Amino acid sequence: MLRILHLSLVSNRLRLIALCVLIMSLQGCAVMKNIQDKFRNVTSHPDKKIEKNDFPAAKGEDVIGRLAVVRLEKGDTLPDIARHFGLGINAISAANPGVDVWVPEAGERIILPLSFILPDAPRKGLVVNLATMRLFHFKGDGTSMVVSTYPVGVGTEERPTPTGQMRVARKATRPTWHVPASIAADHRKKGDILPAEVPPGPKNPLGEYALYLSKSGYLIHGTNKPASIGLQATNGCMRLYPENVKTLFNDTPVNTPVAIVNQPYLIGQRNGVLYMEAHTPLENSDAGELEKMHAKLRTIEKKSAGTLDWKKVKEVQSEARGIPVPILAMRQGSETEAPEPLEVEHPDALYGRPEIPELTLKAWYVLAADVRDEIEARRLAAIINHQGPQIPARVIARDNGFRVLAGPFNDAGEARDAVKRLKYDLDIDGILIDPARKGQASPLPGTAHRTERR
Amino acid sequence: MKKGLLLISLLLVFPVTMIGCATTSELEKVEAQQKLIDAKADQALQDAQAAKAAADAAKLKADDATARAENAEKAAMERERIADEKAKKADAAFQKSMKK
Repeated sequence: MLRILHLSLVSNRLRLIALCVLIMSLQGCAVMKNIQDKFRNVTSHPDKKIEKNDFPAAKGEDVIGRLAVVRLEKGDTLPDIARHFGLGINAISAANPGVDVWVPEAGERIILPLSFILPDAPRKGLVVNLATMRLFHFKGDGTSMVVSTYPVGVGTEERPTPTGQMRVARKATRPTWHVPASIAADHRKKGDILPAEVPPGPKNPLGEYALYLSKSGYLIHGTNKPASIGLQATNGCMRLYPENVKTLFNDTPVNTPVAIVNQPYLIGQRNGVLYMEAHTPLENSDAGELEKMHAKLRTIEKKSAGTLDWKKVKEVQSEARGIPVPILAMRQGSETEAPEPLEVEHPDALYGRPEIPELTLKAWYVLAADVRDEIEARRLAAIINHQGPQIPARVIARDNGFRVLAGPFNDAGEARDAVKRLKYDLDIDGILIDPARKGQASPLPGTAHRTERR
Repeated sequence: MKKGLLLISLLLVFPVTMIGCATTSELEKVEAQQKLIDAKADQALQDAQAAKAAADAAKLKADDATARAENAEKAAMERERIADEKAKKADAAFQKSMKK
């Protein structure tokens, strides 16, 4: 009996020990998981995706989105990166000073300024900030608001986009472009005769969708020149990337209010921190904008417990990189360190990047340039490739230099049209190269063939 | 007395003669030394001149190298300026081409 009792006691002890070991090993697993999670957070693997257009806008918060970085690959251009990530050429250039727009170095880390301070305007309908060249579409009510934002191209210094309050008067898909007399005259001076109307299609600068504003003659529309987004290139209209204007068109009913402002200096808060974002003012900007911003900052400083770092304010203003920078902790315990940008994986294919068809001996070509410097040749080829509609162009290396070759073109008409466009738009005297006939040497660069200067 | 005088004379002449002989050989020795020193001086002068010439040549070379480096730097700067200008010109042309 005693023996039986003793054995059961031993067995109970063993069970207790086994239970303890099991609990401890489970605890061990939990600890390991925590360590692994921490490690995962420390070693930053690039994220595949980043939100670029749609952001929640909490009440009382003025800063949306997050900065990101991407590593360039061979052959990338900043306009291609900008389009893929929903940015304008102005924004990506300002955020990355010193980086060659057309021939950046492979491996270079590029900041994607995907964080924005909302303009100082009622959060209703469409708000366009000309200085930042960005459109904000406020959707939803005051409690749960979502803002969609897109980069835009705006009016030139000579023909600026007007500021003020307007509304969407009507909408049209596949609009016809009625060429304004001023534009027709500009083209005539260069020897380019424009028709009175340009029907929908690749040559129509309005693209596939147009929102006509209540201010007569001004539109928000698509484009056949996507590389112009983020430039002062229009006659007062606002143009969007084709993929963005389609979304905006579908999301915006007629009579939606449209506010057009010009605010190069923006201030706003997020999580108790005051941010400032500065852009290079447009030539026709109101000189008082800077003073207005300083006055606002002085008022905020008086109200807050902290002291504003005016040296930093000046630095942000003079650098004008278009990135929200934290400048003041509005409440105790708020972090004024800029959040780390998110590392984004380079996509396999950049959306909208111009594609260059293969070389073929049966096609027509245009010799656009013959230069010694490779960078110069690559830059020119990239610029030609980003014309709207695209003129495919590539660089051909030779023993003593580089040639920029536009084409292939299906027929003489297409090639002659390219020669004309190269001359009118880029002041390039292209040389027409006709296709090789049977038994003839290749007309491609390096081999002489019949050429015709246009 | 005469013998005594002769002896004295001899005694006087001999050392004088000996001194004379000694002075001649010394002179020859000095002359030889002078020649040697002169030759050495010549050599030293030649060496110095050669060294100076080498130094001058080196300086010339250095100056030339500096000038060439400066020229190369200037040329590089000029190339950079031209490249910058070309890039700006290309960019301006691109921006113009983006208008309607």
